[in-house]
Amino acid sequence: MRRSGLPTLITFVVVVLGLVVAVLAAGWSPLLGLDLQGGVAVVLKPTSVADEEQINQAVAVIRNRVDAIGVAEPDITIQGGNVVVQLPGVKDRERALELVGSTAELRFRPVLQTFPNPELLAPVTSTTVAGVSGNGANATPTSALPTAPTTAVQTSTTKNEQSLGMPGGASSGEYALGPLPRRQSTPAPSTTNAVATSVVAAAETTTTVAGVTTTTVTPAMVPATTNDTLNTSWPPVTPRDEDTNDATVIMPEYDRKTRKETFRYALGPTLVTGDALVAEKTQATLDPSNGQWLVEITFKDGDENVGTWRQAAAACYQASNPQVCPTGRLAAVLDGIVISAPSVNSTFSSGNNAVVTGSFTQEEAKDLGQKLRYGALPVEFERQQTQDVSATIGRDALKAGVAAGLIGLAIVAIYILVYYRILGLVALTSLGLSFGLLWAIIAWLGETRGLALSLSGVVGIIVSIGVSIDSNIVYFEQIKDDMVGGRNMRSSAQRAFHGAMSTIVKADLVSLIGAALLYWLTVGPVKGFALYLGLSTLLDLVASYFFMRPAVVLLSSTGLAERRPSAFGVRESRGHQGAEATA
Amino acid sequence: MSGLRRLFRGENNYDFVRLWRYGLTASAALVVLSIGLLSLRGLNLGLDFEGGTAWDVPTSSLSVSETRDVLRPLGVAESKIQTVGTDLVRVQSGTTDPAKIQEVREALAGAAEIDSDQIAVTTVGPSWGNEISNKAIRALVLFFIAVSLYITFALRDWRMAVGALVAVVHDIVISVGVYSLLQIEVTPATVIAFLTILGFSLYDTVVVYARIKDNTPMVSVAGRTTYTDMASLSLNQVLMRSINTSLTAVLPVLSILVVGSWIFGATTLEEFGIALLVGLLVGVYSSIFVATPIVAYLNERSPAYRTVRERLASKATGETRRVESRKATVPTEVASDAQAAGSGAASGKKLPAGYSASHPPRPRKNKRR
Repeated sequence: MRRSGLPTLITFVVVVLGLVVAVLAAGWSPLLGLDLQGGVAVVLKPTSVADEEQINQAVAVIRNRVDAIGVAEPDITIQGGNVVVQLPGVKDRERALELVGSTAELRFRPVLQTFPNPELLAPVTSTTVAGVSGNGANATPTSALPTAPTTAVQTSTTKNEQSLGMPGGASSGEYALGPLPRRQSTPAPSTTNAVATSVVAAAETTTTVAGVTTTTVTPAMVPATTNDTLNTSWPPVTPRDEDTNDATVIMPEYDRKTRKETFRYALGPTLVTGDALVAEKTQATLDPSNGQWLVEITFKDGDENVGTWRQAAAACYQASNPQVCPTGRLAAVLDGIVISAPSVNSTFSSGNNAVVTGSFTQEEAKDLGQKLRYGALPVEFERQQTQDVSATIGRDALKAGVAAGLIGLAIVAIYILVYYRILGLVALTSLGLSFGLLWAIIAWLGETRGLALSLSGVVGIIVSIGVSIDSNIVYFEQIKDDMVGGRNMRSSAQRAFHGAMSTIVKADLVSLIGAALLYWLTVGPVKGFALYLGLSTLLDLVASYFFMRPAVVLLSSTGLAERRPSAFGVRESRGHQGAEATA
Repeated sequence: MSGLRRLFRGENNYDFVRLWRYGLTASAALVVLSIGLLSLRGLNLGLDFEGGTAWDVPTSSLSVSETRDVLRPLGVAESKIQTVGTDLVRVQSGTTDPAKIQEVREALAGAAEIDSDQIAVTTVGPSWGNEISNKAIRALVLFFIAVSLYITFALRDWRMAVGALVAVVHDIVISVGVYSLLQIEVTPATVIAFLTILGFSLYDTVVVYARIKDNTPMVSVAGRTTYTDMASLSLNQVLMRSINTSLTAVLPVLSILVVGSWIFGATTLEEFGIALLVGLLVGVYSSIFVATPIVAYLNERSPAYRTVRERLASKATGETRRVESRKATVPTEVASDAQAAGSGAASGKKLPAGYSASHPPRPRKNKRR
């Protein structure tokens, strides 16, 4: 068998280099996992037995939510019955996790009474009122926020109707529910707001900005809310298991920014559930008439849907049914937390639409829209593990991993070169080529499948250096064995390969079986590790067959081994041995 | 000629049969010790197995006691606080309450005078540890079954599957023992590293077994040596490869440990590195000193190889035992000559590559039979 192997060799090298160049040209680069670039990961486990379809539905809902907050490369997978959500690059951990994990049914409950947080209320002085009225509805709270503690408190007390902990947005918001505004209507929200806030002492400002019907301020509201604030007691929050649709409950509301509890509400039995909403038509939009962000809600047809809504609205509008809805406000409750408690300023006797208005920032409106829209997941999840990696720590880990890999590689390279000389060079080139291939594949996986390279993957690759080099060592040692036995390199190079390759395949298959099983059966980082270990093992086989063998055969056919034995680190021994034998 | 030099030239011949005795004794002692340690001291299970929250604060200005002072008013002063590397403080606590977690985060950020975004937070529910352990154990059991089947078929010898499994279990027990002894924290990274070790240990064992398999015709066909001696010879033949492979595998791992964790202070890399280092060393050792003697022992009891041994024992005195010792002293010319004769003599069954060359037929003085 006297094959030159040159065509194979050249083809392989060209293919590998071509792939690497192609990937470079396409501008692809490996997608870094969140432990390398920072971000948030959470493992969600269903609290009850859930079938595959429910989980898939949940994943779809979670994906929608994640897409809605604009994460660049979200990775949402089902792993062994758990949903694993990875949000690399996300800065605001709580906001993201809250959106991903909020599982409860959305409920609209009438507000019976409001209790401001006494801790926050205490420092509020008359200056705050002035501040609010001065700012008006379009107050830019970001400017007011970081100045002094009293201002911060003021902001949080004023914005009683905001959703649960979504830090990141800040606004003193006053929200109202109204029918869908007609485009030509031009209410003057800022003035109404200013009036309202100046009337209400500490907090309760509920203003109405919605459509033609609301050109007049609803005077009934203001006294109602001020009455609420007179009651400063602080009732305990209803425990989760007592939170049923029929019960009268106490629910908290949190400030978006500070995550401090701002209000507790006494809420009546549920009037409308999230099931009545058309999810696709619940969204944040910009009211073109006044440039305000609002949240549009659309109800499904039918008595059990929009019908319940109309009843609720009728009861709450101007608190016309004080038994049911004494304050005229309707709270949206998600997961035991009040996300918004707007007042109702229409009876909604016709149409399926409503809007929630207020001085929303875009972010706030979108957050609220998403919560209303994707309120219910088909199964309830609990967080099994959350991981929040800062970008700095991620970058440091990547740097350390790469540095460790390179230095380890350099030491191995020196050792292999000293020991095997020219054959060592073959081993290193082979390693380099399979690395190139691996890099191209990782980049491709990242680009097309969204598969990220995690720290455990990096470790898998570093470990595979040993395995890859080993294939070469097995082969070289076999050649050496043959040559000690008296063969020349030319004949042993071909022959030894068969023995060596069968060993390599057998051993690599064990690694592959392990990697495949791990990939299949495990969760999270172990999976990533298994993927890259398996990949690099496969590439090792490819490189052994298409590069190592033709390269060594080619080298041996030059006769260099016979002329310069020391260059291969193999034949040297023979001379000595001969000398010894004759001595 | 120094031992190293002989190794380099592939002329080594160690009497592994004798070494195995020491090796097996040492292994048995280590395994017993590990199990004892494990039952006495247990393992230092990390956050992921216990549940709770960890905050990683990138700072070099905070000391452990300062950190504790910061945390005291928050009611989490009993937290485990440690410095990792030079510029990381890690706080661990049993709490999983989001509000509390945020509070601690802010407090730590304030004390370290950094942005709270820079603090990495990991929260683990109490049942997560069971979940991953159960999954890992299930994967492990299936892995063992698959590998046993694979080795049985690929090497056509179920005894090798037994040897490989015993060696792997030996590796796990000793690695776990080291973790128990040093009370190093067990994390998911550790689990991954252990799984790698299993793979590597099996990989190494299979390389040795493949050589033994290749040499088996020496016993089964030529009938010139006992299985045990053949196994010892095979080990001598793959020894240099084992050493080189172990070095090339250990060097990057050492690099992970030294460069990655000690210089850069990347904690996850440290977790990987320690487990990998321990496991790699034990894994290489076990394929030579545990896996091989077990196979030799089992095969010596199989009828076919027993007859060979009995025949050889009746024919020769102690000399036959160390066939491989001649390997180094055979003049090359003789080896090449004999090689042709040897392959011819292989009565129909093709002798494997490397057999005749690396193990030249017996020298003349044995021709007296």
